[in-house]
Amino acid sequence: MGSDMLMGGLTYCSDKQRQVRRVLPDLIRARELLFDLVWKDLRARYRYAVMGFLWALIEPLMFMLILAFVFSFVLADKASLAGGGGVRPFPVMLLSGLIFWQYFTAALSSATVSLVDGRNLVKKVHFTREIIPIAACCVPLVNLGIGFLLLLALHLVLGGALSLATLWFPVVFAIQFVLTVGLALLLSCGHVAFRDVGNTVAVGLMFGFYASPVFYPLDLVRHAASQHSWVATAYMANPMAGLLTGYRQILFEQRFPDPGLLLWPACCAALVLLSGVVLFRRSAPTMADLL
Amino acid sequence: MTPSIKVEHVTKRFPARRGPRDLRGRGGVRDWLLGRRQEMFTAIRDISFTVGAGESLGIIGRNGSGKSTLLSILAGVTLPSEGRVTVNGRVASLLELGAGFHPVLTGRENVYLNAGLLGMRHAQTDAVFDDIVRFSGIGDFIDQPVETYSSGMYVRIGFAVAVHSNPDIFLVDEVLSVGDEEFQRHCRVKIGELREQGKTIVFVSHDLGVVNTLCERVILLDEGGMVQRETVQKTISYYLRQVGDEKGIHVFSHGDEEAIECEGRVSLYHKGNETTSAGGISMEFSSLGQYHTSAMADWTVTERRPEGCLSKGQMTRLPFSLLWDVNFDQQGRLSWEASLECEREVQIQYICGLVHLPMTFDRWLYGEFGGTFPDILPSDVRPGLVASPEMKSNEAAALPSEGASLPPLVFRMTPHNPRFAIIWYNSEYLAYSRLLQCAANFPEHARTFGPGLHRLFRIEIDPNVERSTVEGELGAVEAALRSGQTLVSGALTARFEHGCLRLFHNGKELTAYLNVYASILIEYLWNDSNSLQWGASQEIEGGIAFNGESRRFAFRQRWEISAVPQGISLAIWLENEEPLVVQEHHTSVVLRPEYNEWSTDNERGAFAPFDAAAKRWIHCNRSYAPGTTATAWSPGLPSVTIKVLPDAPTVRMTAINTTSQENARVLQALRPSEDGRIRFEPGRHLYFSGIISVESVGEST
Repeated sequence: MGSDMLMGGLTYCSDKQRQVRRVLPDLIRARELLFDLVWKDLRARYRYAVMGFLWALIEPLMFMLILAFVFSFVLADKASLAGGGGVRPFPVMLLSGLIFWQYFTAALSSATVSLVDGRNLVKKVHFTREIIPIAACCVPLVNLGIGFLLLLALHLVLGGALSLATLWFPVVFAIQFVLTVGLALLLSCGHVAFRDVGNTVAVGLMFGFYASPVFYPLDLVRHAASQHSWVATAYMANPMAGLLTGYRQILFEQRFPDPGLLLWPACCAALVLLSGVVLFRRSAPTMADLL
Repeated sequence: MTPSIKVEHVTKRFPARRGPRDLRGRGGVRDWLLGRRQEMFTAIRDISFTVGAGESLGIIGRNGSGKSTLLSILAGVTLPSEGRVTVNGRVASLLELGAGFHPVLTGRENVYLNAGLLGMRHAQTDAVFDDIVRFSGIGDFIDQPVETYSSGMYVRIGFAVAVHSNPDIFLVDEVLSVGDEEFQRHCRVKIGELREQGKTIVFVSHDLGVVNTLCERVILLDEGGMVQRETVQKTISYYLRQVGDEKGIHVFSHGDEEAIECEGRVSLYHKGNETTSAGGISMEFSSLGQYHTSAMADWTVTERRPEGCLSKGQMTRLPFSLLWDVNFDQQGRLSWEASLECEREVQIQYICGLVHLPMTFDRWLYGEFGGTFPDILPSDVRPGLVASPEMKSNEAAALPSEGASLPPLVFRMTPHNPRFAIIWYNSEYLAYSRLLQCAANFPEHARTFGPGLHRLFRIEIDPNVERSTVEGELGAVEAALRSGQTLVSGALTARFEHGCLRLFHNGKELTAYLNVYASILIEYLWNDSNSLQWGASQEIEGGIAFNGESRRFAFRQRWEISAVPQGISLAIWLENEEPLVVQEHHTSVVLRPEYNEWSTDNERGAFAPFDAAAKRWIHCNRSYAPGTTATAWSPGLPSVTIKVLPDAPTVRMTAINTTSQENARVLQALRPSEDGRIRFEPGRHLYFSGIISVESVGEST
């Protein structure tokens, strides 16, 4: 095909394999393969489950129910404070944090091991390897989408209102997605060389679940840390803190989140993506030797 | 023109300890943090070569010599540590067929995924999807999850995707050693086709025979370095001599004659020239429907002598070993004695010893028969019989063309098991060789080989017979065969050749494959006229006659051929002393594939294009009413008509396509039977009587 010629897709030169500027054209060329890989994963995951994609709905729902139960009954007094009274029903607050955090967890944990799991591809065929961790980041988008619809439904049922401000969700999520992909690229090629990375990520994500405003709002942390400003600063260094709070501001206050909240996560995302792309491209051509 | 592949000073080093780092041990995280360099292992050392577009390159070498590393560098799976590789064109690597197939996805989904990995877009895959399914023979399974596939189907579909992704360069790594015989044949034919289409092929294999037939150039990797000799044969024999004392290899000689036995294959050399072709001397078996070759066995040379050796090949999937005693005698004749040692009872349907000779051998002698080998055409996907197996003889000879540096070879076979018989074949197109087969088919009651030693056969190959002696014998045989076997009727010449009639019009052959032949179905076995044993010709009034005798059933056939205007008349008589019950019988004119239209008494039509998937002959006509005449014609070819005379039994006339491999059109006069029984009382019966006439286009009305 002529277009392949123009894009230089028909010539392979071992000297040019580490060039970072080739990443974007390579990814554009491999877009269909990326969709195929995502589709493969989804089909593989849900093919033989009787309820199929329904599981994507049941999982976050059950998680939310158990947390809602714990915080509404067992720790009821804390929960009323967390929910901020009748304006913010606790289950909605919880779910709004939960679905985005779960996306982050699912994407990173599968992306980290994706290259090692897909070693029979990496060791046998030459292709744009970046798409393997990227595909791993795309697969949980389906669960996120379903969870998001659930969130909106629950929000409306529990007396919330929706407005055009909901459209800001994708903007904030774009930052989260870039951050996730960047981390996925870094961690997946790290895991190829050091298999401890996989375990480290699992521990880190568990730590992050408690260290991010998932089942409590950010205000609670600010309130608690008012005596020690460095605690709050350290807490905010976690880019997910700003992002999750941003989602809540969109949902409950129906406005664009405070730019101050998003600035740091956006910088983080850009930095991580850049270093991820560079490191991945540098190590990808010879990673087959380590698999 | 830019080369397809350019390899410049490529070196590849691996850490001596492969895999990811861990905390402890040499090369672990500790060493890494302390900046200690790991010991490196050099897999490939400073290799440079180029492969031109359309060239096929073989890479051979021992295990661990860096073949696979080199191939994965070419495939772009890893980078060289030093040097540069440039590849122009799209690459399909058949490194591992079906890599990346996901078991729960359907065949269809996996095809798209796999094609995507080879760089194809969905639209491009759509275009060849049907071809992929057809080639793989997966059929309706395509929408089943691939985890339900057998391993053979897995490989077939992987191969089908790779070859249909229309790449410019193929990297092939040992794939031809997987799958069943049919699939391997399929692969070899396809790879041959790709080579003819001008695709670049890089081929890594242990199977030196395959490398020799498929590759124009061979490089030998030896401990990471590269060795290349001027020809493929020389590189291969250098390799064989280099590894000469390894356990499955032995080199021995006597005077000008030299032989190399290597893992179930013997190559012969005369004054340094290879007298056998790539396939060498080897064996094939079929047991329980599975096909095996001697090259699949694990060989050990048990006794080494300067002029010969004893070797033993343990079959990997069968409970027996092959024992070969190969040696030169005092006169420089090679003797090859083959036996079978069974560990326990085993069923074997077919055993065959093979001697592959180069194409310079163009004439054959076989007992009292002889002739010129036909050409091997690209459409020949199976070996073609040269001499009829019914002409039992244990002596044969092959004569190279004038001026060839090879001596004539005389073969003498001693069967230790009476079922063995030798016969001349042409190989299929890819092997491109003359083939002396020493084969035995074992019927059901004789298939069981008990534990112990079974001697099979001994073949002696004599390179010392004077060329003039063989030529003289051949001349006498040919003269005897020719006399009285040809009948001329105007522009039409009919030549009787061992149970079939070949038709020529102004020197151009009209018939093909089985030519004009007759066949009788008895006890579900077709007895073709060319499988009978035929005697010398007899003169009769206006023509010639031949008598043939069946070896299987008690009947004889007599063909009487005479000239009539614009054609020949053919009468076939059946003679039997005991009552003979026949299910059906027919007489057929098998024509060149260029014939594209036909007519019978009842209808007319065009021959359909050949269906590559068809395993049987396919009737083109719809009417099966009795008739007397069938005609085939085509622009540029004289029309051929077969007309049945009233004195013969009533028949129906049909127009048939053979399989695409047999590649011929058939006009058939078939005598069916209502209840599957036509009883011939002892005596002489007119079995067929008709006229085959040929009219050139200008004359037709």
